[in-house]
Amino acid sequence: MRASRPEPAISPAAAARDIVVTGRVQGVGFRPFVYRVARRCGLAGSVANRSGQVLIHVEGAAAAIAEFEAALLAEAPALARPELASSLAVASRGARDFTILASAGSGTADVHLPPDLFCCADCLAEMRTPSQRRYRYPFVNCTQCGPRYTIIRSLPYDRPSTSMAGFPICARCRAEYDDPCDRRFHAQPLACPDCGPTVVFSRDGREVCRGEAALRAVVDCLRSGGIVAVKGIGGYHLICDPANDAAVRRLRRRKNRPHKPLAVMFPQQGSDGLDAVREDVDLSPAEAAACRDAARPIVLARRREGSRLSPGLAPGLSELGVFLPYSPLHHLLLADFGGPLVATSGNVSGEPVLTENDAAERRLAGIADACLHHDRPIVRTADDSVLRIVCGAPQVIRSGRGLAPVEIALPVALAEPVLAVGGHMKGAVALAWDRRTVLSPHIGELDSQRSRAAFSQVIADLQAIHRIEARRILCDLHPGYASSRWAHASGLPVTAVPHHAAHASALAGEHPEVARWLTFAWDGVGLGSDGSLWGGEAFAGGAGRWRRVASLRPFHLLGGDRAAREPWRSAAALMWEAGRPWEPPIPGAALAAQAWGKRVGTLATSSAGRLFDAAAALVLGLQTVSFEGQGPMMLESMALPGCRGLDLPLAADANGILRADWAPLLAVLADESLTGAARAGIFHESLAQMAAAQAAALSRSVAFDAVGLTGGVFQNRFLSERIAALLAAKGIRVLLHRTVPANDGGLAFGQIVEYAHADRTAPGRSEARKT
Amino acid sequence: MMQDRHITLAHGNGGRFMRELIDDIFARHLANPSLNVTLDAAPVGLAAGMDAVVTTDGFTVKPLEFPGGDIGALAVNGTVNDLAVSGAEPLYLTLGAIIEEGLEVATLDRIVESLATAARAARVRVVAGDTKVVPRGEGGGLYLTTTGLGQRAPQCRLGIAAIRENDAILVSGPVGDHGIAVMLARGEFDLTGSVSSDCAPVTPFTLPMASHPAVRFMRDPTRGGLATVAHEIARATLMDVQLSEQRIPVRDSVRSVCEILGYDPYYLACEGRVVAVVAPEAAEAVLAAWRELPGGADACAIGHLRNGQGRVILRTVIGGDRLLDELEDDPLPRIC
Repeated sequence: MRASRPEPAISPAAAARDIVVTGRVQGVGFRPFVYRVARRCGLAGSVANRSGQVLIHVEGAAAAIAEFEAALLAEAPALARPELASSLAVASRGARDFTILASAGSGTADVHLPPDLFCCADCLAEMRTPSQRRYRYPFVNCTQCGPRYTIIRSLPYDRPSTSMAGFPICARCRAEYDDPCDRRFHAQPLACPDCGPTVVFSRDGREVCRGEAALRAVVDCLRSGGIVAVKGIGGYHLICDPANDAAVRRLRRRKNRPHKPLAVMFPQQGSDGLDAVREDVDLSPAEAAACRDAARPIVLARRREGSRLSPGLAPGLSELGVFLPYSPLHHLLLADFGGPLVATSGNVSGEPVLTENDAAERRLAGIADACLHHDRPIVRTADDSVLRIVCGAPQVIRSGRGLAPVEIALPVALAEPVLAVGGHMKGAVALAWDRRTVLSPHIGELDSQRSRAAFSQVIADLQAIHRIEARRILCDLHPGYASSRWAHASGLPVTAVPHHAAHASALAGEHPEVARWLTFAWDGVGLGSDGSLWGGEAFAGGAGRWRRVASLRPFHLLGGDRAAREPWRSAAALMWEAGRPWEPPIPGAALAAQAWGKRVGTLATSSAGRLFDAAAALVLGLQTVSFEGQGPMMLESMALPGCRGLDLPLAADANGILRADWAPLLAVLADESLTGAARAGIFHESLAQMAAAQAAALSRSVAFDAVGLTGGVFQNRFLSERIAALLAAKGIRVLLHRTVPANDGGLAFGQIVEYAHADRTAPGRSEARKT
Repeated sequence: MMQDRHITLAHGNGGRFMRELIDDIFARHLANPSLNVTLDAAPVGLAAGMDAVVTTDGFTVKPLEFPGGDIGALAVNGTVNDLAVSGAEPLYLTLGAIIEEGLEVATLDRIVESLATAARAARVRVVAGDTKVVPRGEGGGLYLTTTGLGQRAPQCRLGIAAIRENDAILVSGPVGDHGIAVMLARGEFDLTGSVSSDCAPVTPFTLPMASHPAVRFMRDPTRGGLATVAHEIARATLMDVQLSEQRIPVRDSVRSVCEILGYDPYYLACEGRVVAVVAPEAAEAVLAAWRELPGGADACAIGHLRNGQGRVILRTVIGGDRLLDELEDDPLPRIC
């Protein structure tokens, strides 16, 4: 797209201004945009990148400058998020033209790491046009699309500081790069078949073919039911034919992933790109919009009756994770294969996604039949993000490529930079200084060696790229989390934040306009400030001043961490606690009952997540599960809407905490004369009514402006939407997470919000014990 | 002969009751040429040219008696094994007993008899002792302290500093037996007795190896179990300890109890096992020798050392790498 329109002549300077723009302005084509707008308005001057800020000097007619300033924000490129930092009248320098100056690095920390961008329509069209030199080129990109976050080694964002540094630019690409009117003007990762990366197909660790032949080999392999590890933007995917039952089963067996859902990527077809997706799932308008989000996330949507895809993609679940292709390579593979593809993280279960060619060959050797590598290094891992529509808007289940790093402004300024290391099962860390918080992408559960390495690397990287060194570490109160151990070994002062206070503060940090909260924090378990395991709590107050006001009747859970993978333990705990005879259908049931009775290996908890596990065990006969949340997800999938719930008794305990008793649910859950769908429906409805009843009862003694729902349990749409509906009927507003995950992936942000407020309200509060 | 059925404070007052307690229980069971209860201190000797090695340990366990052992056998084997893994031949023990008022005399008698039997089996002599009685409620029935003296060849080079990259890690038998046996006995479970403590001297495993240059380091995995020994090695060497879940011997009975209760066998105490670090080329020979010994049939190479960062990494049965963390005071569930 060359400049064609004649530019108005530059008028003699009547005024001059220096303008500073911050926010997401790097890697999104912002400087060329400034150039074009300045020319259109007939202004002279210059634009330059300076450590994350864009510095603009304009000279010309006052009215033209005003028009320019308005257009800067109003017409910014779709992917930019500019913020006007300052605009000052200055003396004219007698500029004759408008120029783009070279970037200069400096010591300030106002840098914003741009996310990876999905392949834009212009590049897609170019890739599909045989006469173009980038016809079928899998690495086509421009200022409006392509990799950013995953290729940037350091800022400012220039090609030599990206993983494209090893690809010397050819003359034709150079001409585009230098042309202010070309859409590749200063497109750092620009590439073409002559000078850019190449795809390589390999089997058994040996290169078989490259380029077009490699793409053909992948499609052949897929058609014969094979599994291929494909290097993408933020890591490898394992791909196979989702309509081929045997291929799906093989992938599950080899990956040792018997039940966890597999996401499916669909060709972009039709006017909104979602025609192919709609063949297999029903999309609400909100789900369709989420699919088209710039992050191109995985969106959970209800499977259609008669879908031809394998039932093994998401066994026992009514929803399927679907997404659109985002890299040109995906578009080519989907088009050539002629249909959707399973695209799941290329990793060993529980470990971070693989990004290096050698490691992928080695670690995926027993899983993939072949690999499609490329030679553009991935500097940073980025898993696909996952969204689910809850209460009409997207909720982030997993924050990854395209969404992370998430930037959130703090309502209060921090005295010193802090690093929050989050939880254990859904690792993510956050760095905060002044009023800025940067939340890392999802890292994964911190049990494996590779996850711990990734965890340390993300911590180092976040600080290096923003040139900020944390002076204090925030961690969970639980001393056994890998993240807490890391914190206590860091040598820096540590502040430990109670798990559910962090959850509640994460939600409060997303909605700073709300002053007084009643927040339900329901999850698996987290260490409470009284040393017991919480998970079905409600708190009144706000960040830095939470007061626990409601909970569940506690019960004794046998077997520690195993309870999350063995729902029978939760069922046994509830049945035995309520004095109902029940024999778990497992070997060793007698020992379990004895140990429970003697309180050997048991811990008291008020976890709502474990209530769902218990219900799944009783309704579905599910004794063990292979991934966290499997039981509750299956239960939600089958739950019949419109059931009448039970009224669960509420009573204040000795500390004035309003406790709900789950015991009346047991008779229903164990009632085999009811269908599973009805039992699941009654269970959900009863818990929703219970939360609403707690809120109603508390509203007499606690003043609150909104009810918050946080914690992994509220990723359950059925539950969250019923609570919201019941409370809306009473005129109570319900707020959910929209920016950070409701699960432990949002903890790091919550730790920072909690610290930032507690810091103000109680400057002399005690420090966490250092071990 | 003692007439009382329970220990009273009078048994600790230095008078006739105390003399009777010592004569009728301790001296009677522990009689040996070096034990002279009339002396304040005992002369002992070592073989010419040998170094003296000394260690001390206190023992508290509930219940005092459990399948496969009791606190008496534990007090002997615990100290004997500390000497043994240091490369020493255990020779002498001293014994300190703190008895809680109200302990059954018959129980004490059984325990001291067991202690004497264990000492004979481990070929050590109890050469000095002391008893005290504390008021009811101020002790757990019986606490024992033993100090052990052994001799070691001066050329013995065993130690963490001798460990090299790629060295093999061996274990002399199944892990976790003691921890589970005591836990079941403490809770008076129906299953009590289905798992016995491995309480035994490890000298047969260690003595032949003590001066062998290929054997770098030995340790008995007591409190904190195998994982804690692995951490000790990793922390001191700054190498990674790579263990294979598949190869670590754990009895089915121990494993199934662990599964029900949510315990990890790698953190459970053993009282008759050795973990040895040996040069890779010597591993098979050491294992072959061990497997010939009573209780050594399940000896196995369970891992190795590699260049790293002082971590303990467990290659799981499904091929993942799980980091074994250091034991916490009070492990709590972490899953949310």
